[in-house]
Amino acid sequence: MEILLETVSLLLVGAGAFFFAVGTLGLVRLPDLFCRLHALTKADNLGLGLVIAGLLPWAADPFLALKLVLIWLLVMLSGATGSYLIAKRALRGDGEDLLE
Amino acid sequence: MTIAWRLLGFCGLWLIFTGWNPGSWMIGVPSVLLATWAYGQLVGDSRAPSAARTLGFVLFFLRESVRAGVDVASRILRPRMRISPGFQTYRMRLADPSARVLFIDSISLLPGTLSADLVHREEIRVHALDATLDLAPELADLERRVGRLFGEELTKEKHGHV
Repeated sequence: MEILLETVSLLLVGAGAFFFAVGTLGLVRLPDLFCRLHALTKADNLGLGLVIAGLLPWAADPFLALKLVLIWLLVMLSGATGSYLIAKRALRGDGEDLLE
Repeated sequence: MTIAWRLLGFCGLWLIFTGWNPGSWMIGVPSVLLATWAYGQLVGDSRAPSAARTLGFVLFFLRESVRAGVDVASRILRPRMRISPGFQTYRMRLADPSARVLFIDSISLLPGTLSADLVHREEIRVHALDATLDLAPELADLERRVGRLFGEELTKEKHGHV
């Protein structure tokens, strides 16, 4: 039983790390700011979700488990909101760091 | 009454973040008060969705998150990336403030789409990794689900391009 749980956790965390890596690769490969935001929001959201799903069975108490889920929710929320704000600034061309 | 629930909710969040350390409430109490106040300012008079509907949306959201991650990963990993990026405009019909925020945020986390701007309060500029597809049907479906979550029924026919 223990070994089964360990295997599942390992697979989930491994898959999560894979999606983080692909997201980062996307950051390098994709052609412009908007496409890169796609890679960041979606790949990282799934990557973090998988890592946290893999860690959940090992949480020492329910509080810690809740905290892990909460971390995922907050990162997701800030990721989606942040990417919207970045895309908006870039579209309107009024971001200070976008002067060319 | 709702204020009491919000206070309780934020206290619970603080407890989850910091554990049982009593000293943490030095910062915790002002934070909870500030969060409760800010929440009241931002949320307006939105209705809170029911537990059953929330669960339904969460399941849908999880499924779509996996699809979105796999989709973007498969595009990135191909030797010649399969993308033709571009913008489309979608007219949002949701009126409830919380529903609108959830809709705009969800667009960015679901497959192939990213909400980039909101013009005239209802036109969302959506960036797509593959803009050759018509995004409207999928966005309308998401919008209906978000609307249902907040008790807002949207009719089928009105969606579409601007």
